[in-house]
Amino acid sequence: MKKKASKTWWHTGTAVVLGTGLLAGCGGASGNSQGEGNSSGGGNGSSVVDYSHASGQIVFAASPVGNGNQNIIPILVQQFEKSHPDIKVQLVNQSTDTDTNRASLTTQIGGGSATPDVYMGDVVWPAQFAASGLAEPLSKVLPSSFWNRFSNGLVSGATYKGQVYAAPFFVDSSFLYYRKDLLDKAHLPVPTSWEQVQQESEQLQKQGLVKYGFVWQGASYEGLTCDFMEFLTDAGGKVLDSSGKAALDSPEANKALTFMKGLVDSGVSPKSEVTFQEPQAEDAFLQGSAAFLRNWSYAWNDSQNPSTSKVVGKVGVTVLPTFGGGGGYSYVGGWDLYVNPHTKNMAAALAFIDWMTGTEGQKILSQLEIPTNASVASDPSVQSKNPIYALASKTHYVSRPVQSSNYPQISQAIYTNVNAVLAGSESVADALKKAQQQIAQVQSSGGGL
Amino acid sequence: MNLPVVTQSQVAHRSLQQGDRTSGYVLLLPSLLVICAVTLFPILYSVWMSLNQVNLTENGYQLQFDGLANYNILVHSGVFWHSVWFTVYYAIVTVAVELVLGTLIALAIQNVQALKGLSLVVMLIPWSLITVVSAEMWSYIYNGVYGILNALLQALHLIGAPVTWLGTPTLAVVSMMAADIWKTTPFVVIIVLGGLQMIPAEYFEAAYIDGANRWQVFWHVTFPLLRGSLALAGLFRILQAFGVFDLPFVLTNGGPGNATQSLAILGEESLFQNLHFGVGSAIAVSTVILVLGACLLFLSVFQSLVRGESA
Repeated sequence: MKKKASKTWWHTGTAVVLGTGLLAGCGGASGNSQGEGNSSGGGNGSSVVDYSHASGQIVFAASPVGNGNQNIIPILVQQFEKSHPDIKVQLVNQSTDTDTNRASLTTQIGGGSATPDVYMGDVVWPAQFAASGLAEPLSKVLPSSFWNRFSNGLVSGATYKGQVYAAPFFVDSSFLYYRKDLLDKAHLPVPTSWEQVQQESEQLQKQGLVKYGFVWQGASYEGLTCDFMEFLTDAGGKVLDSSGKAALDSPEANKALTFMKGLVDSGVSPKSEVTFQEPQAEDAFLQGSAAFLRNWSYAWNDSQNPSTSKVVGKVGVTVLPTFGGGGGYSYVGGWDLYVNPHTKNMAAALAFIDWMTGTEGQKILSQLEIPTNASVASDPSVQSKNPIYALASKTHYVSRPVQSSNYPQISQAIYTNVNAVLAGSESVADALKKAQQQIAQVQSSGGGL
Repeated sequence: MNLPVVTQSQVAHRSLQQGDRTSGYVLLLPSLLVICAVTLFPILYSVWMSLNQVNLTENGYQLQFDGLANYNILVHSGVFWHSVWFTVYYAIVTVAVELVLGTLIALAIQNVQALKGLSLVVMLIPWSLITVVSAEMWSYIYNGVYGILNALLQALHLIGAPVTWLGTPTLAVVSMMAADIWKTTPFVVIIVLGGLQMIPAEYFEAAYIDGANRWQVFWHVTFPLLRGSLALAGLFRILQAFGVFDLPFVLTNGGPGNATQSLAILGEESLFQNLHFGVGSAIAVSTVILVLGACLLFLSVFQSLVRGESA
């Protein structure tokens, strides 16, 4: 169960962020997307599809969304059908493993299948899917006003070469979870810097209050790219410079990676950190073996559930720290809704997306996930449900100004080399040099290995 | 057909009427077509893909002949050669250990008549588990924080602090090999046991009467007569070991670093994560060539070994 949830989630975290921008950079994003919408709308005014009288059947492919056995997707589909009696939605359950999910969608849509008409996909997919003709450019078929509903920065994350390829469905970001009771016992403040996390961990461990200080995701997989990118952005580093060239072999990256290695070497993080994905890190924290945890928003619900958590009521959550203090950066994670370019029922597909990202659908979704619809996200009745929602608005996001359709390879170059450093089989400097080389190769050849 | 269960195959052939033969082929045709569609076509298509630059567009796959360009990328990639090396030594070590261990266990089971049924059932449990399931199980056993293996070794005071079994390259490779050997040795046992049962008991009696000791009986009677079974088991195991995917996929995702990145993991990454179908197909085809080479080498080495010994 845990494993399943995590597999969905770790890719969720991937909203990669190759580089510079903060949300500020995307602050212009919703404005920006409007501009894009206008220009494409202007250019292809006639191609905007009127979906107000849509009817017929569509197939919707989505992985389950929820905790444990809970899945909110069928509930959403049911409610949609109730409000649109002319449209039938056939739900196809996708794998909870993002890569398996991508493989099956690629094979099906790449082979020319008209179904699924709509599918739920990772926020890191737009560039790759756009370049491979697996996603319909939605900004061509939807009016530019459609995109105004989304929270800042989200639409730019789904934009590739001036077209929007997906409608943001729900967002996720990472947080620092901490043990309130332990910090109180040791009279320590909630940390705001990474240095503080390390010092407080060492103190708590020395006092024998807890076995490990800080647990996070260090295994050789996408999740490690997320964690590394957060440390890297905190240190002021980038993966790609503004011209899209690899910029990983930098003093900032060295600082970030040296700190991560220091966590493992000093014993603040367990030696097995190098094998931790979300569930292992979360388990260590929920079983009471660690004082701090970096994880996605779902960990909050898990920590409050007595069947999975031994620390119910002892957990606090805050924004991720940074080097030197202040709010740190979080990767933007989450899932989008995409339309199959071969769909035979575009109108119904769009009506479905409109409802799912509209206030009605998003309100239902907000029981479990952070909504993308700005008016729902700022609704006090929604915010009061979960402390995470209020924090989300205070989080700095690492956005993804550089959208490479070769993102998966860039990420592989990052996580294999960072993982090798954590495992002690490579030095920080060598690993960064190697990652730099591999990324440069990907950027120049646009393919290969 | 008029029951051609005659010792001389020529007699059987002659007894088949020409019409029977044609209708035989006609009856075979549907299954041949299915085999072509699901086996031959994909293989040939991936060979063709590996010689093309493949782009996925909204109009489907666009192939552009590119000669050996994809293979050129592979040959110049350190990651690829690392995967080849890992796959080769992983296959050699696991298959060798499995053959030796499997033969020993089969001999033991053969001699413990009373518990033969039970032993067989117990042996078959690991083999019958789906690899992904048993891999998940091993990932709990190896877990560095709450893993059973660490708990056990600590309780026995064999280790002081928990060991991160999958956290360093050497340990990860060894741990993965152990999981593989645990799972697939039973396969070798079953095949070898089948082979053992086909050896007439008189041979052993005769050898003992001639004064041979146990080792001599094994080396001069059992082993030469088992070579068919061992070759079969070895071949099947090599074929599978070269395609090892589930174990590293679940246990390490190819890590730490890329220490356990097999060719199959690399190919999957290239094909289904990076969507680089040309290079991915080239990896797949290279794997096939490698496996074929390995099987031929295994057979010739094995045969000369057995011939040398039995001569």
